[in-house]
Amino acid sequence: MAENQGHSPVPAELPSLEGVMALVQVHHELGALTRQLHDSLTGLGLAEKVRDWAGELPDAKSRLSYIARLTGQAAEKVLNQVDQAKEQHDFIAAETRRIGALIVADPVAAVAKGHVMNFISDVEQASKKIDVNLTEIMMAQDFHDLTGQVIAKVVNLAATIEEQLVSLLIKTAPPDAVLKATPAPEEYTPALDGPVVDGAGNAEVVTNQSQVDDLLASLGF
Amino acid sequence: MSKELRFLIVDDFSTMRRIVRNLLKESGYADADEAEDGVVALQKLRNSNFDFVVSDINMPNMNGFQLLGEIKKDDKLKHIPVLMVTAEARKEDIVLAAQQGAAGYIVKPFTKATLEDKVNHILTKTGLK
Repeated sequence: MAENQGHSPVPAELPSLEGVMALVQVHHELGALTRQLHDSLTGLGLAEKVRDWAGELPDAKSRLSYIARLTGQAAEKVLNQVDQAKEQHDFIAAETRRIGALIVADPVAAVAKGHVMNFISDVEQASKKIDVNLTEIMMAQDFHDLTGQVIAKVVNLAATIEEQLVSLLIKTAPPDAVLKATPAPEEYTPALDGPVVDGAGNAEVVTNQSQVDDLLASLGF
Repeated sequence: MSKELRFLIVDDFSTMRRIVRNLLKESGYADADEAEDGVVALQKLRNSNFDFVVSDINMPNMNGFQLLGEIKKDDKLKHIPVLMVTAEARKEDIVLAAQQGAAGYIVKPFTKATLEDKVNHILTKTGLK
């Protein structure tokens, strides 16, 4: 059985008395700083605000996740639509070359055998598909509005935290320290809720248009 | 020949105004003007003739609810249908919009079919189409 079983292994070299004293000193200083920070926050009435920030940070995290998800979806949607449109465009280009060759070879036969009319019909169909692709690409740009509203909320939170931290810094600075006053950001005015970043399990919000329609129908609209 | 309907699109994001404008054009409603908030919208409504308003809610200066309220208490404007197109998805906001006289409510993100359907439904209901 090992001699030191159940205990920490004995280090090869014991720390010097000075080293231990230095560590104790650092520990005391950290404790004093923590107490000072706590007292300052409480004295300045900021303790409650700090708790509020802590509460809002997870919300900010989910908002940033929402932005990443929406921009990713928009990029994916645009690339898919571009792929489909390019496919149709390639088809039109190939058909144009083919009908051109047929007309050059025998213009009468090209018309009489229906090649020209078939070409016109095919181009019309392909153009309609491309138009749908272009509309979808346009619709994908709605992420700008939705993420813009969410970003504004996160920026407001950051600005509020910065303002309060600067205020704390100024109020707790040593008397001989010269601090340039930072202009306070504009007062944060809580806006409307904006996009629902996570509507799962929230009975107070709707998550799609059919829920809106059902709600309005239940009200007689 | 029937007169072409004139739309006013109100949204603080220019991207969304362009999207709505293009969708309306694709649906056959090419005559449209834009406003970036409720204040500008109200000025345009009072200085020109519009048949239909498509409005966001969350905007600076004057939001969509305030704009809706101003339109509905103005004898010269209250007949104009207002379709709210917004990211505000709280049920109480939808109910409030309906109570204030909104003609319809669309939550973003939406599809071309949804916008077209709501606009046509409102135009038919109000006798504009």
